[in-house]
Amino acid sequence: MVSMRKKTILVACGTGIATSTVVTEKILEAAKKENLDVNIIQCKVSEIKSYAEDADFIVTTTILKDSFGKKSINALPLITGIGEGQVLKEIIEEIKK
Amino acid sequence: MSIIKYILDLGATVMLPIIIFLLALILGEKPGRAFRSALTIGIGFVGINLVIGLLVNNLGPAAQAMVEHMGVHLNVIDVGWPASAAIAFASKVGAFVIPIGLLVNIIMLATRLTKTVNVDLWNYWHFAFTGALVTAATGSLTWGLVAAAINAAVVLLLADWTAKMVQDFYGLPGISLPHGFSAAYVPIAIPLNKLIDKIPVINKIEADTDTINKRFGVFGEPIVIGLILGVVLGILAKYDVKGILNLGISMAAVMLLLPRMVRILMEGLIPISEAAKAFMQKRFQGREFYIGLDSAIAVGHPAAIATALVLVPITILLAIILPGNHVLPFGDLATIPFMVVMVVPVTKGNVFRSILIGTIVIGVGLWIATDVAPLFTQVAAEAAFKFPTGATEISSICDGANPLTWVILQIMRLF
Repeated sequence: MVSMRKKTILVACGTGIATSTVVTEKILEAAKKENLDVNIIQCKVSEIKSYAEDADFIVTTTILKDSFGKKSINALPLITGIGEGQVLKEIIEEIKK
Repeated sequence: MSIIKYILDLGATVMLPIIIFLLALILGEKPGRAFRSALTIGIGFVGINLVIGLLVNNLGPAAQAMVEHMGVHLNVIDVGWPASAAIAFASKVGAFVIPIGLLVNIIMLATRLTKTVNVDLWNYWHFAFTGALVTAATGSLTWGLVAAAINAAVVLLLADWTAKMVQDFYGLPGISLPHGFSAAYVPIAIPLNKLIDKIPVINKIEADTDTINKRFGVFGEPIVIGLILGVVLGILAKYDVKGILNLGISMAAVMLLLPRMVRILMEGLIPISEAAKAFMQKRFQGREFYIGLDSAIAVGHPAAIATALVLVPITILLAIILPGNHVLPFGDLATIPFMVVMVVPVTKGNVFRSILIGTIVIGVGLWIATDVAPLFTQVAAEAAFKFPTGATEISSICDGANPLTWVILQIMRLF
């Protein structure tokens, strides 16, 4: 097996609690199925600036203006339930990179 | 009936897990997962209780000392939305709010009174909060449940009414925001915005979002706000240096820990929320319906962030200078984005106007929050949240200062 560096994902939403918890749980569940181990930092959008440095990429349910040079994935489909599989696939691929 | 009464009297940390367990089973969840989620919710309540204790035990005496030394009567502690939500769910109305909210939504969808399928179960706490205040005021659980149902219905109508505006401004197709706190400010913001249109000079002003976000960025970091407020309050309370620094760190801790505890509650609620979402979406799907989501999804917009950042210091200033206000803003200084997130589209993203409207609704909100403080404190005590006996009262901006909650409360009091 190829050893991969453990990725850190920054999951951000308006509260840093509500929708980001739903997204975090779904990412962890999807990653577990693929036997991937990840770090997740949950935060408010206004705190992204402070945490972006430690993250490999950003997943957010809200509008993101500046992703501080990191790739960002919009996870709104994980909240609405429409297009959920597609987004999870994108996130898993990003973890495997 | 006596079994239901027995369960309700067990206290939130026991009562809610039992109800959530049963509800999860009814919605088709496996017993194992239902049990785990119910237990997690109970643990969340225990955690929130601990942190509220940390907050009130530290901030309470400091606020009292400040009253004595400075003559500033800010002795009602703003415990913030995490505590308010927990108190609301832990109330007797809270035990029934999820089935009631779903039922109101289903009836209104079936009768075509609304287009919004509200899958944001977590924010049903706003309806429970209104109901809990009404129950505390009238002594009747029935009236509290009626109030919660009315609140749920009004919020659905507000979500429909604002859907187009929200979808266009935030670029969220097919979505509406049936949020009990955010939506309540739209009916106030629209006339105020029209009024601003008529004032010369003022109606031309626009503020630069980027500059604001840079200069006021620190107000977006709750732990920094907690530290600064703790230190300043320590100084005003004439504590010694050791006391001042300890209060600062304790308050920073509350800002971080309280939302973390609520996260545990949220985690427990996810299986039910997902089951309800699947149930609702299977029956009401397609182009004619909006998916009702948490307004948190729009809070990241730069104009909403900028407005909220400037309103943090304004809120503190208003609390000090407004005659008749007794609320010491704290926990909800981090919640102001939710107050303005649906105001910003009304002003078409004009940050200056949004700040102006925000200042007015916060000023009035502080009076409302002061007014409901005794009821708020009573509801919290009945939900078995621990308080040091004494003069300390609690309230919050979300939803203690919510005008819609207050109006429903006043109407229900007439009966």
